[in-house]
Amino acid sequence: MAEIKDRYDGLVIGGGIAGMQAALDLAGQGFQVLLVERQPSIGGIMVGLNKVFPTLDCSSCICTPRMAEVAHHERIHLVTYTDVLKVEPTNPGFRVRLLKKPRYVVESECIGCSLCELACDTMVAHEFDYQLGARRAIYIPHANAIPQVAVLDPDHCTFDGACARVCPKDCIDFSQMPEEVTVDVGTVIVSSGLQITPMGAKKEYGGNAYVNVMNPLAMERVQSSNGPYGHVLRPFDGKVPRSIAYVQCAGSRDASIGVPYCSRVCCMYALKQAIMIRHELHDTEVTIYYMDIRAFGKGYEQFYRRALAEGINVVKAKVARITEVDDHDLSLRVELIDEGGRLAEIRHDLVVLSQGVIPGWNSADVLPITEARDHFFEVPELATKPARSTVEGIFLAGVSTGPKDIPDAIVEAGAAAMEAAMYLDRTKEARERASVAASLTRELPHTNGAKRLPWKESLRVFRERMGGVTDEKKIYLKNDKDARKAVRETLRSGSRTIPELTHELDMPGESVMWYVMALKRYGEVVEAGRSGDYLRYALKEVER
Amino acid sequence: MSIRVDPRVTHELAQYGGDTVTKCFNCGNCTAACSLTTQDSVFPRRYIRYIQMGLRGKMLGSLDPWMCYYCGDCSETCPRDAQPGNTMMAGRRWLISMYDWTGLSRLMYKWPAWEVVLLLVVAAGVLALFTLPADFGFRLLAAHPEARESVNLSYFAPKDVVHLGDMTMALVLALLLLSNAARMTWYVMRRRPSLPLSAWLVELRTFVFHGLTQSRWRECKTDSTKHWLRHVALVTAYGTMFVLVVVFLQWFQVENTSFHWTSLLGYYATLVLLAATLWIARDRLMKRDQIHRHSDLADWLFVGLLFLTSLSGIMLHLARLLDLAMPTYIMYVVHLMIAVPMLVVEVPFGKWAHLLYRPLAMYLTAVQARAHVPQAAPGVATPLPV
Repeated sequence: MAEIKDRYDGLVIGGGIAGMQAALDLAGQGFQVLLVERQPSIGGIMVGLNKVFPTLDCSSCICTPRMAEVAHHERIHLVTYTDVLKVEPTNPGFRVRLLKKPRYVVESECIGCSLCELACDTMVAHEFDYQLGARRAIYIPHANAIPQVAVLDPDHCTFDGACARVCPKDCIDFSQMPEEVTVDVGTVIVSSGLQITPMGAKKEYGGNAYVNVMNPLAMERVQSSNGPYGHVLRPFDGKVPRSIAYVQCAGSRDASIGVPYCSRVCCMYALKQAIMIRHELHDTEVTIYYMDIRAFGKGYEQFYRRALAEGINVVKAKVARITEVDDHDLSLRVELIDEGGRLAEIRHDLVVLSQGVIPGWNSADVLPITEARDHFFEVPELATKPARSTVEGIFLAGVSTGPKDIPDAIVEAGAAAMEAAMYLDRTKEARERASVAASLTRELPHTNGAKRLPWKESLRVFRERMGGVTDEKKIYLKNDKDARKAVRETLRSGSRTIPELTHELDMPGESVMWYVMALKRYGEVVEAGRSGDYLRYALKEVER
Repeated sequence: MSIRVDPRVTHELAQYGGDTVTKCFNCGNCTAACSLTTQDSVFPRRYIRYIQMGLRGKMLGSLDPWMCYYCGDCSETCPRDAQPGNTMMAGRRWLISMYDWTGLSRLMYKWPAWEVVLLLVVAAGVLALFTLPADFGFRLLAAHPEARESVNLSYFAPKDVVHLGDMTMALVLALLLLSNAARMTWYVMRRRPSLPLSAWLVELRTFVFHGLTQSRWRECKTDSTKHWLRHVALVTAYGTMFVLVVVFLQWFQVENTSFHWTSLLGYYATLVLLAATLWIARDRLMKRDQIHRHSDLADWLFVGLLFLTSLSGIMLHLARLLDLAMPTYIMYVVHLMIAVPMLVVEVPFGKWAHLLYRPLAMYLTAVQARAHVPQAAPGVATPLPV
């Protein structure tokens, strides 16, 4: 893990479910594979999901074995937290420039004990929970992360050395720098994944201004057992929602925001989330506003029927406008087409926008292959060779060619691996002629055998290099500490609901909610019963 | 009752400028985005559906296009870029041509060159009026050489003769327009249960109110006040001018270089017409607002003819005040060669017909609303009604 060779048979870009499958399938045929992931952990979108449709399997439970298999495969070399800067054809094969981003933690030594994370006293909105949950400035990416190695976020670091002081392995290395590496590979599989359309893309839906309008991936986290809340709650005030709306095609099939295609997964994830909400909250109404329900895959139509049978409301109507009304509820303006075109304003206390799927990576200057008009990668022979790109030797897997669900992404990853293997076989002789030298292995990051400085010294240099604690950061840190202190002190006199806390503290509801959830995650606050639609929270007796 | 389906309707609408109808997949975004849609008139989606399904009879009996003031909110947010606002515009053109029994509207909208031809024919008629009769126009002038030295309109276009002509034109226009309005009323009301006379009478106030104020436009959410103010100013301007010319010509047409106070009203009207038409032309060229994105020949003729009428009117007025005899007479003819064709062609058959159809549509909607008992709307499953 902390070393890299200068030559591999295949490079897989992206360690989501498609990339992992492609790497496993290529390595399984005897090839040496380099898997590069830009995030600190592999697993992609899937490891953050609650369930998968239509089987309702636990998503992380079926994803993590795959992640572990990748990490332990003898012919897969996994490099995380690394960007691909350039892929150039060298005929035969490709020369690849990578940028290893600094974790400030020595990967080969970290044991994932979390002591650094617990010692750090800065709360940061966690990207993995779509900002709804908290992490620290040094943190293990998430419970199921692979590798289980901490990563330090210098933007929020206070440079107090608390993490390094408690690290049992003394593996926090403040002297790490971004480092470029060049490797030669025989073939490339691109599985660069997806992101969802921006929350503010449709200004009619509030342009990201309404706290109780959520993105669907955040909702997956909220529904997950290891999610930021542990229950389905509203982000504004922690209320148990009683009426939830799903707004379909909130980011796809919509020429007005430049995404005219269908994202292929939104109908199914909305149905799935609706079912899971009803499983947890029996008397919560869930309404899905749709243009068409596209349940096209194996078992999907049955899944749709199941959702109907379980009491999910489906209403044919494109939501034209969302407005925030009192109590941070939302009012949806629709034409109820199945009721003869009746105009209606319908109120819900939580709204999920079924945002669309767009390419996850802007690779314009990186790869020699071309994009199609929808900005996914062009597939010249779509009907017969779905894994081939516009350049021979570069193959495409998963959502890199267009939106698709997990089973389709896995199938296509296998196809890409098979194409890549055949290509490697075809070009074997040429590649062998081209390279005479044996493959070299290098350390990563490069140390040239030098001994690491003691952490206190490297911390001083690090702090200077980062410009110290800026004024902006000072304000952030002060607000963070003050808010936690205020929440703690208010709770000292007894348990509270979020609205009760908000009433007593001079803070917006969503901030109170966020800090309470942050303190709960790090063990300072516990749930303490329930008042109506609100959970109560109390300070945990601190044991020392 | 059987419903007749006419698959040619979508193609037909395209000839009226509604060429994006088939893009629509009926999601209903436009209706819900519209700030004018009410429980009584739900549009644009339903009207687009009529077109897609070829329901000619439903389209003919619907007032929906007249309920739309083209703010463009629907087109801005349409997921299919199907331009529902423009489809409603095309619907209005189609309806104008359907209400018109002479067939001239249809001719002009389907083949815009015909509009130009008709305008030229009427202009030639005006020219003929001033050149052929012995006791009018240029031949009358020939008999009075002194009127060629100094302006004296009584030897060129005597007021009583012109006034008679004005009144005749106004009567013909009114008859044409009213007969078309009667057809519109028939199409809309024929399948409805008969209503008490009181409903028809009481709601006349709606007709007068909307005819004078166009206040429905202000309910649009986007840029409505600006467009509405401009429109009201334009209406008062050409209304003033029309009344001055047709009713009060005895005072408004001054024989010599003297000044009559009615000219002050004329100044107001002319200034507003010039400013408003230039402003509209600019907006149509800039294409910033949805309402100005699609301009066809009829739209440009509307703006252009109004502008030229005002401009030639000013030149006529100046020539008279400066006592330039021949220029005055020539401008008099030119002015009428623009204004008369504009009124004769555009008011009953063209875009101007909306001056009657819009308030009439509001009136008919109000009359219908008096008829039906409000029903309890079937509830969509939601525990939290607003």
